[in-house]
Amino acid sequence: MKERRIGVFICHCGGNISDYVDVEKVRKAVENEPGVVLAKTQMFACSDAAQEEMISDIHEENLDGIVVASCSPKLHLYTFRAMSVRAGLNPYQYTQSNIREQCSWAHRDDRPLATDKAIRLVRSGIAKTLLSEPLTTMRIETTPKVLVVGAGVAGLTASLTLADIGLPVFIVERAPEVGGWTRKWGQMFPRGCGSNLVDELYEMVRQREDITLFTQAELVERTGNVGDFTVKVRVEDGSTVSLEVGAIIVATGFDTYQPTEGEFGHGQAGVLTLPEVTELLATNDGPLTVNGRPVENIAYIYCVGSRQSEDSDVEKPNLYCSRYCCSAAVHTALQVHERNPKIHQFHLYRDMRTYGKYELLYEEACRKGSMFFRFEDEQPPEVVVEEGRYLVKVNGQLDGDEELEIPVDLVVLVTGMVPRHNDQLIDVLKLPVGTDGFFNEIHPKLRPVETVMDGVFISGASQGPKTLAESVASSLAAVAKSAALVKKGYVDLDPYVATVNPDLCLWCDKCQEACPYGAIEKVTVADKEIAHVIPSLCKGGGVCVPVCPEDAIEITGYTDAEVKAMIDALIKESAVPVG
Amino acid sequence: MARVNTEFIDEIRQSDTFDASACMHCGQCTAICPMGLNLLPRRLFFYVGAGLEDKVIENSETIFSCLLCKLCEENCPRDVHIAEDVRFLRNYINRKVHKLVRV
Repeated sequence: MKERRIGVFICHCGGNISDYVDVEKVRKAVENEPGVVLAKTQMFACSDAAQEEMISDIHEENLDGIVVASCSPKLHLYTFRAMSVRAGLNPYQYTQSNIREQCSWAHRDDRPLATDKAIRLVRSGIAKTLLSEPLTTMRIETTPKVLVVGAGVAGLTASLTLADIGLPVFIVERAPEVGGWTRKWGQMFPRGCGSNLVDELYEMVRQREDITLFTQAELVERTGNVGDFTVKVRVEDGSTVSLEVGAIIVATGFDTYQPTEGEFGHGQAGVLTLPEVTELLATNDGPLTVNGRPVENIAYIYCVGSRQSEDSDVEKPNLYCSRYCCSAAVHTALQVHERNPKIHQFHLYRDMRTYGKYELLYEEACRKGSMFFRFEDEQPPEVVVEEGRYLVKVNGQLDGDEELEIPVDLVVLVTGMVPRHNDQLIDVLKLPVGTDGFFNEIHPKLRPVETVMDGVFISGASQGPKTLAESVASSLAAVAKSAALVKKGYVDLDPYVATVNPDLCLWCDKCQEACPYGAIEKVTVADKEIAHVIPSLCKGGGVCVPVCPEDAIEITGYTDAEVKAMIDALIKESAVPVG
Repeated sequence: MARVNTEFIDEIRQSDTFDASACMHCGQCTAICPMGLNLLPRRLFFYVGAGLEDKVIENSETIFSCLLCKLCEENCPRDVHIAEDVRFLRNYINRKVHKLVRV
């Protein structure tokens, strides 16, 4: 093995580490490890002064690898990598040993134990650095164009904003018309008319030369990687168009829950879903009638198709709350009241989730005569037909379990949102899908529009049930993320990619099957079929490594040898007496 | 099984001042009522809103037991004029049940 010259820097972190770990003891314990030529402690390794000191140490001692024993790499990995680059040292020959979050902060009550653990952690960092190789980041030039899938309100707004930023946009819409569900609806909560909004947006999009809209079109293929995708779109006449884009935003929206036959009387003429009623109110100016008979009483049954019980007979119950429906139902009641204040409206609910300012809609509905009855989750209302009308029976929970019978002409099932069926899109983009069937974001609060497929963003109701305003906000978040990505001009990918040893590989396809990113392909080299990793798609996840029966694949930068050396160093008997 | 009577609801709605429909059934009023009667005032307004005229008339005595002290009204988050509404119901009972007319 080549003579290595490794420098070890152990941070006090101003007491965060040194209050619980004897850092001087750690320093003494590692200064004579093989390969280590320098070991020192610092008050704050991340400070300017300490970094300057490390840089001059790298130069003076000709260090070819460093270990910084400090906080979590989640905090300062990039700080010290940048420092290495400034010092002329390959950033991948720097290792960070976490002796704060994973040591001093976890073992505040046992100084000797914490110190021993820190020694082991630093030793393992040294062992890894000993075997480290200089690596190069992969730089990918980004195409300054974006693809938006879905021309609903969210997709259209996103496209206009992307164009405003200066990025050409391609929109692919499956239906013959734009606007999704909103096109069919009139007044929506809290204010505004859906169909007018769609018309406005469509007009604006038509006038932009940098936005190309394909309707009756579908995505059929995607190759390439973040910043540099090639997508194939099957357009209206059946031919295929090829597009080069840097990022993809999915804004495919939702579907409404379809009650089963007989569910709360569904199938009868006077039992409609809330979206159907909303459409009815938009297209029909006259008095409300059912089967020619004027509507005098309306019952709204909430939570239909949402918050279903795990124990129910339904094959795949929707456990989630659809968020928008309480506010929408209450708003609809206000619309109805405006048309005809004589109509009696009864709302049968489980919880009123008119959150934030929508509470004012709930209050207004109450004041305008809507009556609200709460029912227990386990005792939903029953709808029976009685003399051409409907009798809704409910156990009103708030009045001491009084069983009420309400004769009505119209039953409105307040239905929730369900994920749209889009198997082809999921397949083409390798979109991650959550247990509830909606697309999966990386983190609901910290990274709500990103997916594990780099460069592919999800937004709006396709990510989960939400109101129109929230969908638009979400799609604009995706715009910000995707624009930042492609406008920079390039993307730097970590070189921690899997590599295949062609001598050992026997092509069994297990690694290809295991890889969630589609980064492994079969190739033929010198008449032998072997696996090949596409570096730009590989995220260094490592799922392929343990499934290989021949041990033919490993991750550069975390090779089997490096990991084994780290483990050996961790469990090596301590030469320094503890305690 | 109590049937909702929309005619009763309409009769009550004739009044410009009866505003108990704004009630959201939080129960603050009943909790603070010095009479400590189960019915007053939340469940009473529930019966009115649900059109259960029989139940309202059944509980005439309780309705007349209200002190009109307005402790409930002071604490109502929806600003329902509870005392006035109780007086309205007393009036209604007088007219409907006892057939009293204004001379």
